[in-house]
Amino acid sequence: MTALPEIGFVALSAALLAVGVFGMLTRRNFILLLISIEIAMNAAILNFVYFAAFSSGADGLVGQAIAVVLVGFAATEVAVGLGIVLVLNRVKGSINVANATELKL
Amino acid sequence: MILEELAFAVLAATAVLTAVAALLVRELVHTILWIAIFFVDLSALYFLLEAPFLGVLQLGVYAGAVTVLLLFGIMTTRKRIFSREAATGIGPIPFGLAVVTFIFLVAAIAEFPQGQVAVTSYDPAALSAVLFSTYGPWLLELGVVMLTAVGGAIYLVREGRE
Repeated sequence: MTALPEIGFVALSAALLAVGVFGMLTRRNFILLLISIEIAMNAAILNFVYFAAFSSGADGLVGQAIAVVLVGFAATEVAVGLGIVLVLNRVKGSINVANATELKL
Repeated sequence: MILEELAFAVLAATAVLTAVAALLVRELVHTILWIAIFFVDLSALYFLLEAPFLGVLQLGVYAGAVTVLLLFGIMTTRKRIFSREAATGIGPIPFGLAVVTFIFLVAAIAEFPQGQVAVTSYDPAALSAVLFSTYGPWLLELGVVMLTAVGGAIYLVREGRE
């Protein structure tokens, strides 16, 4: 049976979320923006798996089941995001999100 | 026990460093390489947490499919694959916001009980049994969302659309 530091995984998730937020706020390239969102989402999934591993009985399976569904949602999001990247590139000639201003108020 | 703590420390440090490197390097292809290492590293963490099914899923979906999709995204939107990204300065406000996020989260984490807890291991067969019985509607919903997303993506990129 494995024994691991309790606080380590939550701290790691917090650090990864901070890196993701940092990327979302600073990057202008759509692909880098997608990657930042993926990093933040992976932090959330890691949290689900962590709490699942440290709970006993059937509760742990709930966390892992949520994590499986979340991985599927994240992959879907990347597919749609890349569709938007291709359209943005075709319409604007670049994938810089600073150029995509037409839906702004 | 010491070996597992050491493995966690190395994997956690690698995860944070590769995530930061992926966002800071100038070449987009290098970004993809760093993020692939990040995904493989997270998969190793899942194996450490005794969640083998999720570890394999992470390897297949993230390190495999998502990485290749992102690479295709770069290949179809650039004239040259190895072209450098225009330097974007890191302003003080985004950096400050990220630091504040991290400090708030660390403050919340400090409330956690300290110490070590034994990891419970689950049989992947039990997980699949639960997924396809109790949480079956979630999987159905995921399927519907994926189908809608595929339809939406095809509608977005189809030819002859202004």
